[in-house]
Parts: sequence; C-alpha cells; structure tokens
Amino acid sequence: MAKREYKPVARVSEAVPGGTPVEHTPPPDDLGYGLIPKSRYTSEDYMRLEWERMWTKVWLLAGFAQDLAEPGDYICTEIGRESVIVVRQDDGGVKAFFNVCMHRGNRVVAEGIDTAETFKCSYHGWEYGRDGRFVNLPNGELFPQGKPCRGLVELPCAEWNSLVFFSLDRDVMPFEDYIADVAGHFEPYRFDRMVITRDATAEWACNWKASVDAFNETYHVAATHPQLLWYLNEMDVQIDCYERHSRYLVPFGVTSPRIQRAPEIPPPLKFMMAEAGLDPASYEGPVDGIRDTVQKHIRATAEAEGRDYSALNDDQLTDDYNYLVFPNLTFNTHADHLMLFRHRPHPTDPNRMYFDAWTIEYIVDEEELPTRRPRHKVIKDGDRSMGMVIDQDGGNLPKVQAGMNSAAYEGLWLGDLEVRIRHFHKVMDDYLAD
Amino acid sequence: MDLGLRDKRAIITGATKGIGRQILELLIAEGCNVATCSRSIEDVEACIEKASTRKAQVYGDVCDIRDQEEYAAWIDKMVAQMDGVDIFIPNVSAGGGMDSEKNWWKNFEADVLGTVRGVEAVVPHMKENGGGAITMIGTTASLETFAGPQAYNALKASLYTYSKQLGQFHGADGIRCNIVSPGPIEFPGGSWDMIRDTIPKFYEKTLRDHPTGRLGKPQEVAKAVVFLSSPAASWCNGSNLVVDGGFTKGVHF
Repeated sequence: MAKREYKPVARVSEAVPGGTPVEHTPPPDDLGYGLIPKSRYTSEDYMRLEWERMWTKVWLLAGFAQDLAEPGDYICTEIGRESVIVVRQDDGGVKAFFNVCMHRGNRVVAEGIDTAETFKCSYHGWEYGRDGRFVNLPNGELFPQGKPCRGLVELPCAEWNSLVFFSLDRDVMPFEDYIADVAGHFEPYRFDRMVITRDATAEWACNWKASVDAFNETYHVAATHPQLLWYLNEMDVQIDCYERHSRYLVPFGVTSPRIQRAPEIPPPLKFMMAEAGLDPASYEGPVDGIRDTVQKHIRATAEAEGRDYSALNDDQLTDDYNYLVFPNLTFNTHADHLMLFRHRPHPTDPNRMYFDAWTIEYIVDEEELPTRRPRHKVIKDGDRSMGMVIDQDGGNLPKVQAGMNSAAYEGLWLGDLEVRIRHFHKVMDDYLAD
Repeated sequence: MDLGLRDKRAIITGATKGIGRQILELLIAEGCNVATCSRSIEDVEACIEKASTRKAQVYGDVCDIRDQEEYAAWIDKMVAQMDGVDIFIPNVSAGGGMDSEKNWWKNFEADVLGTVRGVEAVVPHMKENGGGAITMIGTTASLETFAGPQAYNALKASLYTYSKQLGQFHGADGIRCNIVSPGPIEFPGGSWDMIRDTIPKFYEKTLRDHPTGRLGKPQEVAKAVVFLSSPAASWCNGSNLVVDGGFTKGVHF
C-alpha cells in the first residue's frame, strides 16, 4: 500500500489578544543527549536530596479554590512526610499551616476536604482558629512555661486561576515569580467556570518522576495507547521548554501519521464530533478535515451556548495544551475541561508514589451543576479503573520501576520526542545543586 | 477445478481497496477482466496500473455510486469498454454507525440503491449475453444480532430477500443471483484494525466468539465471492454462503 503523504498539522500562527502565547520556545541547546542516571528514580539518597533541596523549596498545589468557597472550608493535603492545611479565612483570603499540633505533634485534622469552625486536636483538645492562632488550651495552668508558640505554623499560600498553592519554604520566592514562565497561559481558559467532576488518587509502585515522565512525552502513544493514534497526532507536537516549566501542544481531531488511512471516521473522532454537536454521519469531508470542521463549529456555536471561548485560539478548541508546572503538575487544558494530574512522592519509598487525577468541566447553566461534589476515590495498584488511557499508563509504571531497579539498567536513554523529560531533569539539577 | 472465469467480464463497485480489492485481484488471477470505480481517480488509476496483468485487464473510472446518473453512465462505459458484462458484484457500503437518522439514508443509498440500480443497469446486458452472475455482499450482522440496532445490519438484511427474488425472476434468462455473508474481517487499514485499537473490549469479545480465535481475512471472503460468481457455481442460485469461520451460532436447516 502507498505510504500516506504526510502533511504537517495546521496551527494558528499567532495568539488571540489576551490569549495563551503560541510561539515556539525550543529547549535550550545545551541539554545534550546524555544518559539520565537511574539512581534518580531508585535511590533513597537521591530521594532525600530531592526532599531537602526541591520539595521543601518550591510551590505546590493544595487543590481547587471551589473547595474553599466559604470561611472555614479547608483542604488537608499530604506531600512526602508533611501534611498541610489550607483554609479559607473570614476576610476571603487563604492561609496554609503545617497540620501539626504544637503540643505533642499529633496531626490536627485528617487528609481530605471539610469545613471547620476551629481545628481541635483529638489527642488533648488543643484548639486552633481558622487563622491558626490558639483559641483554647485546656487546663492552661498545667503549663507554667506558657504556650509553645502563637499557634499552628503558617506557610506561604497563593490563589491562582482558581487553584490554591502553598510552599513548605517560608522564604520561597513570590508565587508570581515562580509561575512567571507561563504567566498568561492559563487565564484564557475559564477554570472559574469549571466544576470538579472527578477526584481520584491512585497509589502506584513507581517513583513519582516515572509518572511525570509518562505524561511528558508522546513517543509512548503508539505502543501504550494504540487507540489514540486514531484521535491525535503524537508525532507533530510543538514542544516548548521555559525556564522552569514546559508544555507541548498535541493536535486532537486528527489521525497519527502512523495511520495510513482511516477506513471510516474512527470512533473517538465520531465522539469528538458528537460532543461538539456535529453529526458524524452527515460529514462528507475527509478524516483529515475533521479537526478544522470541529474547530469552526465550536467557534460558531460557543457564544450562543453560553461558553466564553473568546480568549482561546482555534487550536485550543480541539487540541491538548499539555503543561508541566514544575515539579509535579500535569495540566491537560482544553476549552471545556481541564484534566489535572498531581504526582506525589511516597514519604519514604522511592519505589512508590501517589497519582492524583482531577477533572473539572465547563458548566454553562447553573442548573446543570451536579448536586454533589464527587467523592474522592482511592485506588491502590490499579484495583479500580481510572479510564482507559490512565490505566494503560498506570499499567506500565510498576514494570518500568521494576526494570529500573535491575542491574542491567543504567539510566534513561532519551530521544527528541522526550526532550521535556530531559528539561525537567535540568530544572531538578538546578534545585539540587543549591 | 477450473472456475471457468478466463476472459469473462466482471463489474465490481469500489474495489480499489479492502475486501473488494481482494475480489478484484482474485478475478484477475483467474483471467477475468474487471471494471471498478472509486470516488478518487488516483485510487482508480493506481489500481488499474498495479492489478492489471498480461492475462486480464482492470478497467475503471471515478464514480460516486450514490449519484444515480453518474452510476448509470459509469456502468455503460465499463460495459462498452469490456464489450459486455458477465458478473456483477455491488460492493460499496456506507458501513456501520449509530450516529443519527442519516446513517439510514446513507446505508439505503449506498448498500441498497447501490445494489438495486447496478442490477437494473447490468441485467439487460446479461440477458443479451444469454446469462450472468450477480453476487451481493451481505453480512453476518444481518443474520444474528450484532453490535447494536443500526441501519447497516437492517438494510443489508433487505438484500437477502432481494437477491433470492432476483434469482427466481431472472433464472430463465440464465442469470444467477447469490449472496455472501462475511463475518468480521480484519486487515491493515480495515475497520476491524481500527476497532482493535479503539474499542479493544468489543474486539476481544468478537475474537472469543470465533471458534478459531481469529477474525477472517479478505482473501477468505474473496474466494467465496469469486466461486459464486464463476461458472463453476452454475447450480447455485438464491443461495446465501456464510463465510465467518463459525462466528454465527444459528443453525440453518
């Protein structure tokens, strides 16, 4: 059979006013092609260094501002050996605290999302306000030496694009500086009009970076996700590496150059058309023309449907703008939804990690709002499905980790489609060199 | 066994790729000249160039068989170029889908009218010849419930009744009419190739329902179609040949 003549995917050439930048920012020339040593994924020494010099120095995601709607609403999240409470204040601001009772060290609240008038330790009843200060210390006369401090130990906290961040480093750079690389990239998406429709955490038997890597390159799509070859172009991706963060732009609504010719409109593209309000059976054009047709149709109908896509370019109506916000956030941004992954290290074992997956979806009509926020699901080693694509990735990772621990393996041998992984390690090196 | 196809003339719609292409190549290998069409002139030209041999010639032109006039003109042209027609195989299908009512119109246009209009155009020539063979392409998806309630399954079903009646009606003219019922057929670039990747659970279930643990190959369907279309099948008229490796479970008494 004749080889399909490959035409590069058409991309918008400039950003819409106030829109996400589209210019190509190639990786720095000096990344090279060296081996990435496997010890970064397997050694406890490296894990310790990572904790001391990186995790405790960066900005980290706590969760979604929509879970902190009212004063007293809080998120308690864990990172490595630490647990952090982020709570909405009476004045509308947010504050973050170590989740540690200053009396005997007990965790004050359990991991999760809840609301509280005060935070009361279950051990001896020491009680802290939403602002972290002591409100009650039972039988204070028993402590002639006084209180150990003013209350819970506060941490830097920031709200940004409907997300809430904290840092374990009280001297961390301002969040605006930390995120400056990608300032203006996310604002055009209306995260403020999206609600949580999925909230799940999987425990995987791999290093957290192996999980970051799985979403930082498209080279694995053909072997791991063959179904996606009928839905996106994993070879023609625009890879942009910034100072700390990176992204790639993956065209959706097309078939891979590895597919010679689709015999009919592939089921996932039919689904995409139907979602956009197009009837696949009435479409007479070529499969190659579907992305453009879907983009134009969404553009033509969005406003009447009450969707504000005014600051998004046409590519953003179909494609995946996939970001890594260093160190551990994978954003799959789309006009009508965001799939956000957070890769967290295990407190002690470099061979285990936690993978958090949230989906938030654009809600047009308040009446469509789900009556209840979805419950947080916990999945251990793939005992429940997280959807076909994530299951495929999650299926690889324990085997990858096992293989990395083999005497035969020395390190990551990365190609050009995997340059974001190389860039990620360079940023990591910069932190660890401090 | 000699199929008796040497120097015969066959018209098969949409045979530049897939199962149709296998039928075309098998007919050519038997020394039968074949005319076909596609909506892409490049595909037609490539097929003529690649599939023609010293023994037999491929004819063809661009044609959208859904256009009644274009379809009739194409058949006239092919009959003229081959100086007659002995075999007709209406092969074009709009395929499956449960997208909208439009699926029904498309299957009616391509699968049903694409067969009916072709038959009406070739029968006078076959009568003139003193006979001919029409072989329709059915599907096991019409014989047993399969995949979902869809136009493809239901409208392909109408071809079974139509082909049986045709065999009766034109039997005296020496025209035989039969239908082949392929089960799921897999080949690179085919629908089942795509289903394997995109709906793996459905693919695996279908695979398990095959006693041999594999899907059919285009050549296996092509051999059945070519046999029924050939003079070797002179006593087959009104038959339905199921070619599915034992996929369907119903017993035909």
